[in-house]
Amino acid sequence: MNTAVKSSSSRGDLKAIVLFAAIVLSMPFWFPLIGGYPGLDTKILIWAIFALGFDLLLGFMGYLSFGHAAFFGVSAYTTGLMLLHVTPNIIPAMIVSIVVTMALALALGFITLRRSGIYFSILTLAFAEMLHRAALSIFSDYTGGDNGLTGIPSPELFGRVLHETDIFYLCAAFIIVGFYLARRIGRSPFGLMLRAIKSNQNRLWYTGINVPGYRLYGFLLSAVYASIAGSLMVIYEPYVATEFLHWSTSGEVVIMSVLGGVGTLFGPMLGAAFMLYFENVVSATLQEQWLLILGLLFMIIVIFLPGGFVDGGRRLRNWVQGRKAPGANAGSTDTERAE
Amino acid sequence: MVNSLFLQFLTGLQLGAIYMLIALGLTLIFGTLGVVNFAHGALFMLGAYVAVLISNSIGFLWALLLVPVILFVFGIIMERGLIRYFYDRPHTDQILVTFGLALVIQEALKWGFGANNIPFPLPSWGVGIVQLQEYLPFLDGFVAYPKWRLILVCVSLVTVGALFALLQFTRFGLVVRAGMRDPEMLRFLGVNVTLRFSIVFGLGALIAGLAGLFGGPVAQVHPEVGMHFLVPSFLVVVIGGMGSLPGAVLASVVLGMALSFSAEYSAIQQIIIYLVAVIVLLVRPRGLLGQKGVME
Amino acid sequence: MALLEVHNVSKHFGGVQALQGVELAVEEGTIHSIIGPNGAGKSTLLNVLTGQIAPDTGTVEFDGQSLADVKPYDINQLGIARVFQTPAIFPELTLLENVAISAFAHRDGKFAFNVMETPAHAHEVYEDAERMLAEVQLEKQLKQEARHLSRGDKRRLELAICLAHHPRLLLLDEPTAGMSRHETQSTIELLKRISEKGMTKVVIEHDMHLVFALSEHLTVLAQGQVIADGKPEDVRGDERVVEAYLGGAHE
Repeated sequence: MNTAVKSSSSRGDLKAIVLFAAIVLSMPFWFPLIGGYPGLDTKILIWAIFALGFDLLLGFMGYLSFGHAAFFGVSAYTTGLMLLHVTPNIIPAMIVSIVVTMALALALGFITLRRSGIYFSILTLAFAEMLHRAALSIFSDYTGGDNGLTGIPSPELFGRVLHETDIFYLCAAFIIVGFYLARRIGRSPFGLMLRAIKSNQNRLWYTGINVPGYRLYGFLLSAVYASIAGSLMVIYEPYVATEFLHWSTSGEVVIMSVLGGVGTLFGPMLGAAFMLYFENVVSATLQEQWLLILGLLFMIIVIFLPGGFVDGGRRLRNWVQGRKAPGANAGSTDTERAE
Repeated sequence: MVNSLFLQFLTGLQLGAIYMLIALGLTLIFGTLGVVNFAHGALFMLGAYVAVLISNSIGFLWALLLVPVILFVFGIIMERGLIRYFYDRPHTDQILVTFGLALVIQEALKWGFGANNIPFPLPSWGVGIVQLQEYLPFLDGFVAYPKWRLILVCVSLVTVGALFALLQFTRFGLVVRAGMRDPEMLRFLGVNVTLRFSIVFGLGALIAGLAGLFGGPVAQVHPEVGMHFLVPSFLVVVIGGMGSLPGAVLASVVLGMALSFSAEYSAIQQIIIYLVAVIVLLVRPRGLLGQKGVME
Repeated sequence: MALLEVHNVSKHFGGVQALQGVELAVEEGTIHSIIGPNGAGKSTLLNVLTGQIAPDTGTVEFDGQSLADVKPYDINQLGIARVFQTPAIFPELTLLENVAISAFAHRDGKFAFNVMETPAHAHEVYEDAERMLAEVQLEKQLKQEARHLSRGDKRRLELAICLAHHPRLLLLDEPTAGMSRHETQSTIELLKRISEKGMTKVVIEHDMHLVFALSEHLTVLAQGQVIADGKPEDVRGDERVVEAYLGGAHE
């Protein structure tokens, strides 16, 4: 997972984004061919956005959060409440949701980031659970408690009610831009500092870098992505379930990211697609056990292939190339963050 | 007045009891092996399931005998078969693999026994109430307390006592305590750490099993219960200080009391343990009894 | 006024008095060595200088400015860089990236939210980093991951990281520890070369060969106290120094 600075041309970058955009925008056409039902493609994009931001925190900065559902859920509730009580226009709803989530991220980051990675994982898990319980009890008047937030009107944009296809393309826009931005962040000096934090945080303290500052901003960035995803979720389906704040939601984004391959940006998005596809399409034959199988797959990946599907694909490609040209230097270490 | 205070105190001990047992295992494993076991709640849950299945078929006394053994063995297998490959891997990987295991155990139980609660009836000798005023003269009038909950409190206290005795008075315990303070040194001295690691992990699992055995009837027995108890148990460990056994005991009592005394204000009770955690962590980052520099 | 002034610094850990009333002055542009038997408090002193631990008493002043309560990264930004006893580098990153981090810290200060800056735009920084790697003769391994380096090369890399920050004061914690004769010699030459640029260096060392080859000034610590301080030739003959070394366990 390196950036060979000089050889990553901007043209290669552009190619990658265009290719990605083409795949995403054409989803409504090819996705049903592999068994995907309408609406599932939108859901995949939403979770991909969630996973993308999560990768910045885990894959780049090395911090494993088990509480990202807090941002997803709080943003979802805020959007729901905005649409319900203020205006069905999605723009103010999303903006307010992002602002509220960032305030939450600031508070949470302040408490949890100062500790080591282990504490961080435990504390994020705990505080997300606190919010979950609060939503079920203290704030149930606002959140609808166990039943969730219902009765949300159809979302609108500039006075036009948004239909399924509109929402899909809205999400597509967000993910394409989000992916592009994430790649830029990854290659920026800021992104380098995040990776330095993961690599040797202690050294960074003595290299003139304000580590707490970078940590907090990295955390905030991932929270923004989660917040956008949560907001889009409610726009996609006007209902907020308390599950959005549940630890299983946090767990799902962890699983997706690890399955796909942390640190690659593309991997977690691939993991999101895979997991949702597996849950909804493949599970038709497997009934209830899809999560059990996914859990086993997750463990296998963590134990034997920590780099996830992306790494698996890379190894496979190297092996195939090695067989095609015997004697040539097979299995070269990829130094380019290529698509 | 005294009555109600004492009852709340007792309830505090009882509420904290299950967390105490789970947290003891967690902090023991972390302090000795340096591993954060996200599957520890699942071990508690396994204990509860095994207990209820045995209890419902051949009786609670058999469960009392078998659950600790089964969980101990399971713990050893888990350590030898999985955990030990992760000693040299980064902490995030340890958390991920144990989380994965917790998920697999949860889903396997759901698949095998359904998502609903399995009723765990109390053994006949555990049913009923105890008239506390017969034993405690300072109480005024009739003060009844559920017998099983008293038993649960006693079990937790006895387990703590036994664990401390094991660590203080046996050679095994001496090695474990030394390992908790300075694992590197121990390896240097050529002490057979491997076997002891396995045993410590098995012990942690055993204690979680006890929590499941005695706590099962009080809590519930369904596939989500593992994670449900894991989060507060983690908080207990963190508040008490990671790697500190006395800390885990103290923190679980503190949390239990907080839960008990806030019972009237149900809204607060839901989130009180998190509030306590925030306060403790802001004021004393290492935890109540944690060592300075450990994970700070 | 000396570049670095240490006045009456004391530090104890539990029952152990690690440093006691340490007085030290490092003149700008010199190579100043701190030596002493094991347990003399040398590393503790270095930790105080870099902000890792706070002294119980006393002050440390850099260029007239007090370092009390200053965060380690701010101390770096003031112009103090440190090479650690066990080479501290970023293993998963390439050599170029390792040094670039420091170069960015130099250009942008301790924090910059430059999330949109492309590598092309930052090419000057990467070129600067490449130059630093050339200084320590590691430019051929630019794109290698740092974890594949030998220990000696890791130390060079660490030096490059420090140099990229263009520090005024470089602290070296036993730079030749665990090195072969040959490696030690090339380290001495390297240090000599970069010293021509006028950078002040404080070196903690055991290797007497290096100490006497390089230093212009010498401070001897024993049991947390300064027992000798002056030019190497003068200190050499000092009875107390000889006694301190013979009295304690030493090579």
